[in-house]
Amino acid sequence: MTDKMRTDLNVFGRYMTLSVKNLRRRPVRTGLTVAGVALAVTVAVSLGGFMLGYRGAIDKSINMLGFQVMIMAKGCPYEAATMMLKGGTGLLYLPADTYDKVKSDPEIETITPIFIGVAQKQGSSIRDDGGGSNFSIISGIDVASYRVMKPWIVFKTGAGYQGGRWFRAGSQDEVVMGFEAAEYEQRKVGDAFYASITPAGKPDPVMHQFKVVGVLDRTGTQDDGTVFLPIDVAREYFGRPDQLTILGVKLKQFNAFKMREFETRWLKLPEVQVVGLQQVKNTLVSLVGTAQTMIAAVAAIAVIVALIGVINTILMSVYERTSEIGIMKALGARRGDIFQLIWLETVMICLTGGIAGSVAAIVGSGLVERAIKAIADLGVSGSVVDITPAVIGYAVLGAVTLGFFGGLYPAWRASSMRPVEAIGRGA
Amino acid sequence: MREAIIEGHGLKRYYRRGSEIVKALDGVDVAIHAGEIVSVLGPSGSGKTTLINLLSCLDAPTEGTLLVGGKSVAGLAEEELVEVRRGVLGFVFQQFALLPTLTVTENVDLPLMFLGRRTNQQKTREILQTVGLSDRANHLPRELSGGQMQRVAIARALIADPRILVADEPTGNLDTTTGQSIIELFKRLAVEQGLAILLTTHNPSFGYEADRAITLQDGKIVKEDLPHGANSN
Repeated sequence: MTDKMRTDLNVFGRYMTLSVKNLRRRPVRTGLTVAGVALAVTVAVSLGGFMLGYRGAIDKSINMLGFQVMIMAKGCPYEAATMMLKGGTGLLYLPADTYDKVKSDPEIETITPIFIGVAQKQGSSIRDDGGGSNFSIISGIDVASYRVMKPWIVFKTGAGYQGGRWFRAGSQDEVVMGFEAAEYEQRKVGDAFYASITPAGKPDPVMHQFKVVGVLDRTGTQDDGTVFLPIDVAREYFGRPDQLTILGVKLKQFNAFKMREFETRWLKLPEVQVVGLQQVKNTLVSLVGTAQTMIAAVAAIAVIVALIGVINTILMSVYERTSEIGIMKALGARRGDIFQLIWLETVMICLTGGIAGSVAAIVGSGLVERAIKAIADLGVSGSVVDITPAVIGYAVLGAVTLGFFGGLYPAWRASSMRPVEAIGRGA
Repeated sequence: MREAIIEGHGLKRYYRRGSEIVKALDGVDVAIHAGEIVSVLGPSGSGKTTLINLLSCLDAPTEGTLLVGGKSVAGLAEEELVEVRRGVLGFVFQQFALLPTLTVTENVDLPLMFLGRRTNQQKTREILQTVGLSDRANHLPRELSGGQMQRVAIARALIADPRILVADEPTGNLDTTTGQSIIELFKRLAVEQGLAILLTTHNPSFGYEADRAITLQDGKIVKEDLPHGANSN
């Protein structure tokens, strides 16, 4: 480092010190201005984290389905997809022989039939839900093809969960529970699980007793909240022995062209629709996009208000220090020196606000997530707010940029003062 | 004859106040030489501050010639006047004008920051010793008396090695004893460091301790005394 550089660093350090000390002269005013910037940054970081986290959650949820294409009964494909991702009611069914027809398609790598039904947990739960969810999502699966589709699924281990396994062939009374379903019901391997199922076309529900033979480890997907039965048993209990809810398909080659070909081949079946999960993903993102735009508008307003607050604070500070600025000019300060000093103060306010706002956003992310989920059904499970270092970096950079531009006018005003007038005005 | 650091010839400074022209300074000739103390006396509104603002390049004359170090500063832009002031002029104000959040040392070192120079602790210590404030180096202005604050302001003016110290009513906010001690300090600086000192004052007894006392009235010099005889010039 040259002597000139050391001198420049020393001088810049003193400018920084002077700026900080100037800001500390009015701690309440500075604090409120920093708080305004911090609030705007908190909103912006939370929004950025939500945008990122929601896309990530959709990606994860869809990728963890294991298949790229769903064949399902005609209806709203997105409702069906949401149901697949998160669980729900209003199910439509397609004929079971669709599976036999489609599975012979040469482009299919893996196919798995899924039957979904909703059972009442009446009398089974040790919890008093008090108006909470009294329904269980029952998923009837073909274990062999389901495991091929989702190779990451493993059984939970540890005390009470040893010996977890899938149901035996032909078993009528064995269930495997997803991680959250078991946690919620406080069930372990060997425990009983009761479900009240109303068969199709019958007025009264039938109570079934099952034995929990395995609890799945957490996957972070809809599987965590599901209770699994053998597909034939599920169809029988729900009174739909010849029906399916979904065929999950994984193609050997998945791209827009192959997807289109596959879709064209199977749309010929009556009452069947073919839905690509990429399509579902895009639609879910665009549905929430409107809400995100509104939140972004609020964030933009917060940023503008914060910017006005910053400019106002620095202008007041400049006005109060008119005489002082004149004296600094008399002591040898050039216009650029005064500009630098005032501009540094503005940037520091915004930098501090940016850091404080980012910290607040990180600390409050859990709260924001709960609030978002309470307000809107986002159709995905798992975390939807993901505040990454990049989001923080952009937010702090944005705040500094705000200070960069916000400081221009007050700094220009201060640096333009004529010393003799400035000294006289303060006297 | 000693070198004139600042020379003004026929200096006029007129202001417009509505339709009226105010002649704050109306044709003044003055020269400040190295090592001399020049006081400017006169009642309020006589043009004292206007004169030192012109001589210290803080303001530009309406008419007249101003030479600093032998060079004319007529027509220079404000940024060019800053360059003329830097390193030549040191300022002391009636209100002390210290930055309240900076310590004595930081206040003294402030002009170096604007000059882009590194601080020199030893030099700062020496200057504080010169003004009698070695034991107040880390105090804040609010912890000092009026006289001590004015000494800090003088130390601040000295840190950049000026050739002339311009002091506008430096004793105006001080009691007589403290004011006298400031005048004594000026005299010592002029003798020991060859510093020229230009000061304004309302107090004739302080004014007549200078080598030369100029009395202004209505923007004109009405009297110029050499209180200690002709050896001052």
